[in-house]
Amino acid sequence: MKIEIKTIRRCIMFFAILALLLWIGSIWISGQAQHMSEYIQGRSRPYTGIAAEPENSIDMIVLGDSESYTSVSPLEIWQERGYPVYVCGQPGQKVQETYYMLRHALETQSPKVVLMETNLMFRDPGFLGNIRVDMTEFLRYHMPIFRYHNMWKMLLDGSWANDDYKGFAIRSGVKACDREKEASYMKETTETAKIPEAVHTYMEKIIKLCRDNGAELVLVSAPSPKNYNYKKHNAIERYAGEKGLHYIDLNLKAGQLGIDWTKDSYDRGDHLNLSGARKVTSYLGKYIGEKYGMEDRRNDPAYQEWDRLAEKYQAEVARRLAK
Amino acid sequence: MSYDAVLYIFVFLPVCLAVYQLTPEKSRWKALLIFSLAFHFLLSRGLLLCLIGTSLLTYYTGICLEWLRSEEKLELSGADRTEKRRLKQKYQRRRKRILALGVIILLAILAYLKYYNFFVRSVDLLPGWLSLPLSLEEKQLIMPVGISFYTLQAIGYMADVYWGRISPERDPGRMTLFLSFFPQIMEGPICRYSDTAGTLFKGEPVSYQNLVDGYVRIFWGLFKKKIIADRLAVPVAVIFDNYTEYGGMLIAVGAVAYTIQLYMEFSGCMDIIIGSGRMFGICLPENFRQPFCARSASEFWRRWHITLGTWFKTYIFYPVSMSGIVKRWNQFGRKHLGKYMTQLGVAAAALFPVWVCNGLWHGARWSYIFYGMYYFVLILAGEAVKPLRDKALAAFRIREDAVWLRCVQIARTWVIIFTGELFFRADGLRAGLHMFWSMFEEFGISRLWDGTLFTLGVGRADLAAVAVGCIIVAVVGHMKEKDKNIPQRLAAAPLPVRWGAYYALILAVIIFAAYGDGYQAVDMIYAGF
Amino acid sequence: MDRILEILRGIDDSIDYEREEALIDGGLLDSFGVITLVAELEEAFDITIEAAEMTPANFNSAGAIREMVERLQEN
Repeated sequence: MKIEIKTIRRCIMFFAILALLLWIGSIWISGQAQHMSEYIQGRSRPYTGIAAEPENSIDMIVLGDSESYTSVSPLEIWQERGYPVYVCGQPGQKVQETYYMLRHALETQSPKVVLMETNLMFRDPGFLGNIRVDMTEFLRYHMPIFRYHNMWKMLLDGSWANDDYKGFAIRSGVKACDREKEASYMKETTETAKIPEAVHTYMEKIIKLCRDNGAELVLVSAPSPKNYNYKKHNAIERYAGEKGLHYIDLNLKAGQLGIDWTKDSYDRGDHLNLSGARKVTSYLGKYIGEKYGMEDRRNDPAYQEWDRLAEKYQAEVARRLAK
Repeated sequence: MSYDAVLYIFVFLPVCLAVYQLTPEKSRWKALLIFSLAFHFLLSRGLLLCLIGTSLLTYYTGICLEWLRSEEKLELSGADRTEKRRLKQKYQRRRKRILALGVIILLAILAYLKYYNFFVRSVDLLPGWLSLPLSLEEKQLIMPVGISFYTLQAIGYMADVYWGRISPERDPGRMTLFLSFFPQIMEGPICRYSDTAGTLFKGEPVSYQNLVDGYVRIFWGLFKKKIIADRLAVPVAVIFDNYTEYGGMLIAVGAVAYTIQLYMEFSGCMDIIIGSGRMFGICLPENFRQPFCARSASEFWRRWHITLGTWFKTYIFYPVSMSGIVKRWNQFGRKHLGKYMTQLGVAAAALFPVWVCNGLWHGARWSYIFYGMYYFVLILAGEAVKPLRDKALAAFRIREDAVWLRCVQIARTWVIIFTGELFFRADGLRAGLHMFWSMFEEFGISRLWDGTLFTLGVGRADLAAVAVGCIIVAVVGHMKEKDKNIPQRLAAAPLPVRWGAYYALILAVIIFAAYGDGYQAVDMIYAGF
Repeated sequence: MDRILEILRGIDDSIDYEREEALIDGGLLDSFGVITLVAELEEAFDITIEAAEMTPANFNSAGAIREMVERLQEN
């Protein structure tokens, strides 16, 4: 028995030291990452990007998968309405990632509105997949060394900065959507799609996080014939009703927005392209700006950087559209 | 859930360990059985029934053989000499029939699931006038995970009972555990009943030392798999999937890279598997012994996928070499052909089925059969020139263990291995031959340093990680070959050194493993066989 | 016993058969050596060695081989 207590003490020591090493490494590496956020590539990009923004400077945060960063362009909103938006969307974002992304963003920001694209609410990696993502996202949040461990590669591969338009991806290609699909995908029905259990769990956390931080959570479905249908609409409509959230389904407003599926689709009705995104952004910018009384900060000297970036953005947009 | 997955190492394994430890010693094996069945169910759902069916069949075959043996004894006790001989023959025949029945059923299931489509395709290839009165269509067949591995274990068990080497298992549950023990179900090692049965059912309590040894071994496996193999998977896939676009040096690079990938991946998974077993106090047999130190093709196979080689040797090579036909050939040959030719004939007769089976076991593809035949020819040729070689060495007074000779032999063996794996990985035999010949057209060694390597989907950093990783594995392998037991030395080292080594290993895996942004998890190769 | 040693030396004369206890487990005799040995033993002692006898324990030393041969001769 005596030996056992000694062994247990030793084990605890071992893991305590390991945790300490990882913790120190994490603090160091996340400092480095924030410092050189424009060099970070891939999924962690918006994660470091939002942390690199000056404290409490962002009024709206956008969450979601690729539908989010191909639909909402912050610099358009800035020029039209003057309130600062940052898109924290990631390709194929899972609800666990959404939660930790928001939690991370709220450490330095206190936005008025959190806009969440809803496509991720139907993503289900299955029972085992969920346990795995729960675990890995928890670890990546609390021990950023797991998130940034690949940064050592920059020492050998070199590093290059990417343009960052506050999280928006400029995609100017056009691949028209199938006409039949576009005409029929929002056919009315009373059936509802099922929202997976894990999404329910994490949505609760997200709702609570927003409430505790005084942010309004708004659900939005970006126009996408490939990803949406009326069953999903019904499911979110009902969910939003139960939780008292505001829900905007742009799939039902595609006509009103002036979406032309022969011109505004990037990849046959999956994602919007630049011209589609501008239409959606213009609508959302106005709608949210008015509904939530977003403040115009265009004359605030602290935001001069935004004007410069917006000019660069417009130049890039003009270049792309000219092609 | 593969063995290198976070879920397996940090959730499944610890939960299983805890439940195992809390179960009373006598029924600990039941805990292992339940977890093994659950593991298999998670991987292959309803096909779990196939595994249970195999277990029951194996169990009853064993019991039946045992029953025949006791009946024989009973009848023999009262019989006279001639009667005894007759009875012995009678029971021998019966036992043989039972064994044959069991083996044939198992092989039929395996053959149906694994080779049915291959058979159909091959029938289609036959010329029209030969066409059989069959109309067969290819089917979508899903194989239960690990069937290639547990079927061999089951057959080995039946044969061992038949030969009277072991007494049969008396509990169907234990039988199932022997075949399905979760760490080994996907990739082996292919165990004999006498290898694992002792520790598998003993229910040894979890001990501090076993836990430490087990997790160190697991992290060593992760090091090989996640730092080296998963990185190499990318350029290997680029070269082999677009083989017509590459030639010469790059094909050679592909062959070498794939060989390293396969070794790191398979032996890395083996480390994880053996480490997992270790934590429960279960000794699984080693599957690799520094294969790249081998001096010949046949020695390579005694160091690479050892349990498969041992299985073929025990259950195919020896039985064939002792069968009636071979023995008659032996008598005939000694009279008419001389010793050398006779022995060569016996070796060929016993080796041929081994290598056909080795090829087929990996899957129903002509390139695998070619791979088997490649080694058959090489090993037989090695055996054929042996007397001549010995004479030559003696004539030139070259010592067998001269360092330069050893180096030449190892280098030659490497070429053999790389070429073999080129055909093994190539997408079909035609692609393999195409790739092989392209190496002789325009080699272009300059592609090694002119930057072409970086067009294969890996950067400088990835290549550096692979290179450093390989050097570390090679150094550790070299020390093992020199009989220096590193884990044991580490365990005896003072605490700061020991812990320092553990932390270094863990941190190396956390920082340098290929996961997270820009990487995708790579499936285990051997789980597909 | 001498006959057995003679056969063994005929297969590989670099091994000290009188002392060696791990011919198989130590990897000194490979499988080709073993099948040659079996054929020679069968002829020299007029016995039949079955596949069931093919265990390392039966072939690990000259002594073990002798025991097996004697046992088979009795049958």
